[in-house]
Amino acid sequence: MSSFVIEASGLSKSFGQTHALAGVDLQVRTGEAIAIMGASGSGKTTLLHCLAGITRPDAGTVGFQSGAGRVEVTALGERERSRLRREAYGFVFQQGLLIPELTAVENVALALMLNGMPRARAEEYGRGWLAALGLAGMEDRRIGQLSGGQAQRVAIARAQVTGASVVFADEPTGALDSATSAEVMQALLDSTTGQGRTLVVVTHDADVAGRCSRIVDMRDGRIVGERVPGVTA
Amino acid sequence: MIARVAWLLARPGTSGAAASLLPVTAFAIVTSLLLTVLGGAQTFWTWTDDFGVTYQALAVVALVLLVVPLASLGGAAARLSARRRDDRLATLRLLGATPATVSALAVLESVVLAVAGALAGVVLYFALVPLIALIPFRGEALGIDGVLLGVPALAGVVAGVALLAAGSAVLGLRQVVISPLGVRTKQEAPKLHWLRIVIGIAVIAIAFLMMSVLQVAGSMLVILAMLGAAFGGTIAVLNLIGPWVIRLVAQSQARRAKTPARLLAARSVLESPKAAWRQVSGVAMTSFMAVFAGTGIALLGSFGEAGDVEAMQLFADIRTGILITVVGSFLMVACSVGVNQAAGILDRGELYRSLDMLGMPTPTMDTARRRAVMSPLRITAIGSAVTAAVVMLPLTGAAIIVAPLSLAVIAGVLASGIGVVWLGLLATKPMLERAAAG
Ligand SMILES: Nc1ncnc2c1ncn2[C@@H]1O[C@H](COP(=O)(O)OP(=O)(O)O)[C@@H](O)[C@H]1O
Ligand SMILES: [Mg+2]
Repeated sequence: MSSFVIEASGLSKSFGQTHALAGVDLQVRTGEAIAIMGASGSGKTTLLHCLAGITRPDAGTVGFQSGAGRVEVTALGERERSRLRREAYGFVFQQGLLIPELTAVENVALALMLNGMPRARAEEYGRGWLAALGLAGMEDRRIGQLSGGQAQRVAIARAQVTGASVVFADEPTGALDSATSAEVMQALLDSTTGQGRTLVVVTHDADVAGRCSRIVDMRDGRIVGERVPGVTA
Repeated sequence: MIARVAWLLARPGTSGAAASLLPVTAFAIVTSLLLTVLGGAQTFWTWTDDFGVTYQALAVVALVLLVVPLASLGGAAARLSARRRDDRLATLRLLGATPATVSALAVLESVVLAVAGALAGVVLYFALVPLIALIPFRGEALGIDGVLLGVPALAGVVAGVALLAAGSAVLGLRQVVISPLGVRTKQEAPKLHWLRIVIGIAVIAIAFLMMSVLQVAGSMLVILAMLGAAFGGTIAVLNLIGPWVIRLVAQSQARRAKTPARLLAARSVLESPKAAWRQVSGVAMTSFMAVFAGTGIALLGSFGEAGDVEAMQLFADIRTGILITVVGSFLMVACSVGVNQAAGILDRGELYRSLDMLGMPTPTMDTARRRAVMSPLRITAIGSAVTAAVVMLPLTGAAIIVAPLSLAVIAGVLASGIGVVWLGLLATKPMLERAAAG
């Protein structure tokens, strides 16, 4: 079994005249936390979406190594990719993007229910994850009744509850102050690499990136450098 | 600033043509319906006999009935317009425009859409005139000359629709916040007092009593007035308790929900039972009207002497009028649901996109959205039909014997009402798919 959980090669993607990705090769190791940094518009989100099977690149391939074997993500159809995302991956977005009318625990349980788990058991797992993330007692609150940092923890619980082997996070702390941001990032790391899972995080924040095991820098749709935090390039 | 504002508002929308076409279509249908009813009814005012007054009164009732769904459609169109321009309105706020300025612009835009729709409605009306001319009243087709409206009436209706759009836009915007970060629905915890139920039951009881003494009332006009009062009172009650019942049912559905779609649907109804009611209340009116009118006509018919040609004609004409009003309100309900759904989808565009990324299948989102409308709709349609039946109880026995067809009519109206709402949902499915795909 390869030690790379995701292997991408020759990825390119254009939107009209914009070359969002112009030939990207990237290998993500099992159990690492990799940060993707770069200026706004440098193609970070597009890369994340290609790696996660949300967007299909114009050229290049993405492979995913699961317990059951290697999957050629770029060769899968819309439905299979959707299924791969809900079964094998977890996602955390900048704004949480939780469902406002559901309670915290329902938001988390929904991810399991989509995979066919009965509701009662799904909510039990959900409660467990919320408690582990320091949200015990807030399970039945609606999202509007939570602070930004708390909502982001709910999103982390949702990304983790299915036992996702890779979690993709796009600026997960982008809307938070620096103290809350550090806490949320710690929660994200604990629940991913802390459990032997993999984290791919897009961020602007040097502090957030500094907690990862590896940083790749992007410019104009290309990877222009790779660093290990704490070591100057 | 002015040039910038003009440019911002003139840019083509990013949310697709459906979002701007829907309100325009809605206003066009509303206008042509109003003109049709006005055109058809203007003949009534040339009649000077006793029956003429009754016809005029009934025409006014039909117009009033159409104004209710019309107003809620106007409000929905305004909310849609605010959301459609979400990015631009938010940009304006960022540029330093006050909330009042931005609201005024949103209202202005929905008036512009209303006028565009109203003008299209006038054209549609002219296309319909040959058909309207064929409708028989008092045994005679109305005729082209009878239904053609003059320029002042046409201008008046267009202005009226524009005014209504402005008024309901102001009301509709009170429910959304336009902040520099975008347009969103205000988070208000739904509050519904139990007193509603007490008042509701009292009014229904009074209506029941009125219907019980209807048979001893002497003149046709008194009977019509009492029917009207019972009718109006019960509709008001439906508006009062409808949201409450919808919330009660949704609460139990949320507890029992086993699939993601059912859970989402029940929770989104609970989010605002009033909004859920508003979307389907048009059908409540029509299904209520169907029972009330169907049995009422049958009753009136049983009063008329076999030889009284004029009275028999009046009953036949009331039937025609009801048919027109029912079809009209169906069209408005379909538009209303379409417009409301479009607004909702745009409002939640980013959320739908994120759910798609998480791997939620689009059919699951669509099922949830459909259930969130269809479930309150079923409660509403059946509940209001039952309420109407209760009020009509003192009379139904006779009515059913005299006119077994009225039951078939009621069932038909209910089924069509549910059908048009379903069409309104279907029409917005492509928007959902586009929102999810991003
Ligand atoms: N759906 C899209 N349609 C058009 N252009 C897009 C789209 N997504 C991204 N782009 C463009 O591609 C480039 C890279 O975008 P993105 O990956 O979002 O960058 P980043 O996340 O680093 O800010 C930008 O110029 C952006 O405008
Ligand atoms: Mg980005």
